[in-house]
Amino acid sequence: MTGVELPPIALQQASDWAFVWENSGYLFAGTALTIALTVASVLLGFFVGFPAGVVEVYGGRASRGLVETVGVVLRGTPIVVILIFMYFVFPTPDLTIGVLGVTASLSGAFLAGVLGLGLRSAAYQSQIFRGALQSVDEGQMEAARSIGMDKLASIRHVVVPQALRRSVPGFQNEVTIVLKDTSVVFAIGLAELLTRSYDLFVVRTTAVLEILLFASAIYFVLTFTTNRALDLVSARYAIPGGESA
Amino acid sequence: MSDPLLRVERVSKSYGDEQVLREISFEMDRGDVTVLIGPSGSGKSTMLRCVNRLTEVDSGEIYLDGERVTGPDVDVNELRRQVGMVFQDFNLFAHLTARGNVMLGPRQVLGLSKEEARRRADEQLALVGLADQADSYPAELSGGQKQRVGIARALAMEPKLMLFDEPTSALDPELIGEVLEVMRDLVERGMTMLVVTHEMSFARSVASEIMFLDGGRIVERGPPEQLFERPEHDRTATFLRRITQLHS
Repeated sequence: MTGVELPPIALQQASDWAFVWENSGYLFAGTALTIALTVASVLLGFFVGFPAGVVEVYGGRASRGLVETVGVVLRGTPIVVILIFMYFVFPTPDLTIGVLGVTASLSGAFLAGVLGLGLRSAAYQSQIFRGALQSVDEGQMEAARSIGMDKLASIRHVVVPQALRRSVPGFQNEVTIVLKDTSVVFAIGLAELLTRSYDLFVVRTTAVLEILLFASAIYFVLTFTTNRALDLVSARYAIPGGESA
Repeated sequence: MSDPLLRVERVSKSYGDEQVLREISFEMDRGDVTVLIGPSGSGKSTMLRCVNRLTEVDSGEIYLDGERVTGPDVDVNELRRQVGMVFQDFNLFAHLTARGNVMLGPRQVLGLSKEEARRRADEQLALVGLADQADSYPAELSGGQKQRVGIARALAMEPKLMLFDEPTSALDPELIGEVLEVMRDLVERGMTMLVVTHEMSFARSVASEIMFLDGGRIVERGPPEQLFERPEHDRTATFLRRITQLHS
């Protein structure tokens, strides 16, 4: 046999995998950004979304109306639009924070990403918590009020502890959705895991599948571990015997 | 003499077009056990719930220990601290143990320390015969045990008056006895009790007064012997005949 011979397909694939391996550091750096964005956004979403859910169930007319309206707008707007809005319309300044002598610089783009993803997640999380709060039997609130607890104490000590337990499955979903949605921050110039994968397979088009498989495996590990961790939390706080009272 | 613990004056309440209470008036002295009987929808539970203001009256007044408890300026939490309530469906706090259920009020409302609240809870659970179930969660208890925890939870607030809203209606027949027994103990300890129930033998043996409600009115009232032996109204007689047949 003569002429130019292509290497056998197996060797070609092997070299594509080698390419992925050579650039794994680049992808892991993107993974770190993905994790940072997810953690910060989910936390922001919780600390805004949980009170929002409480207001939607127990708030007065005005506060409820406001929270519901903001929620509808956030849930009804494409995430890319929200991010661009956060980044270009209300530019967030770069921020340097120092905690215990360790300083970290947060770019304006990162902060805009966290605000956009976090506030949108808050809008979704508020619905998870609203549903969970509403699912707690009215008799629980009545019993709490009947021993002289005020409304806030009854919500805090009786309704919320039960509602939080019922929120776990919805919250697990939300975490995985936020995790994968972090990829849209490419729109404001941030290079997280999926954006970096894209950058790589543009350079080496034969390795598209390998690169995407590698990135997917990372996403899988992240979603699997967070879901398992939340399962453990859920089991740890499960009410013995079930929830009937 | 005329210093009743509870005085209900011309209380009326409607839900939409339906008038469930029509100018109800009665009094209870300390240590009285008043039993409300009547067909479903006759307003018994609503009357009970007006006393601790889980339901608001439309008109009329209610006085507890001489203090008016109806009206917008009344601190309902202060009122409820003095009036215990036991629910048909128990309504135990599902995420707390029996002890946790009983401790919550003393802790959060009376401001007792954890140790004091715990001691009080264990005392109350012992009084209802559940000392050994203090660490059980509601879902791990039988209906009768749940209701006894419910009674202990109300008693831990050291109320002046106890309201019982059909406390045995959600129970399997074989579990009713243990709850009634606890209620009898309470009567013997001198607790003032306003009870809605269909347990006629219980009503007959412990009530100081029985009131028969129908259509939002007190049709007939009096000591148990009188109502059971010589009811003045046909409606009372018919109701009692039907309900005793049902439960015998």
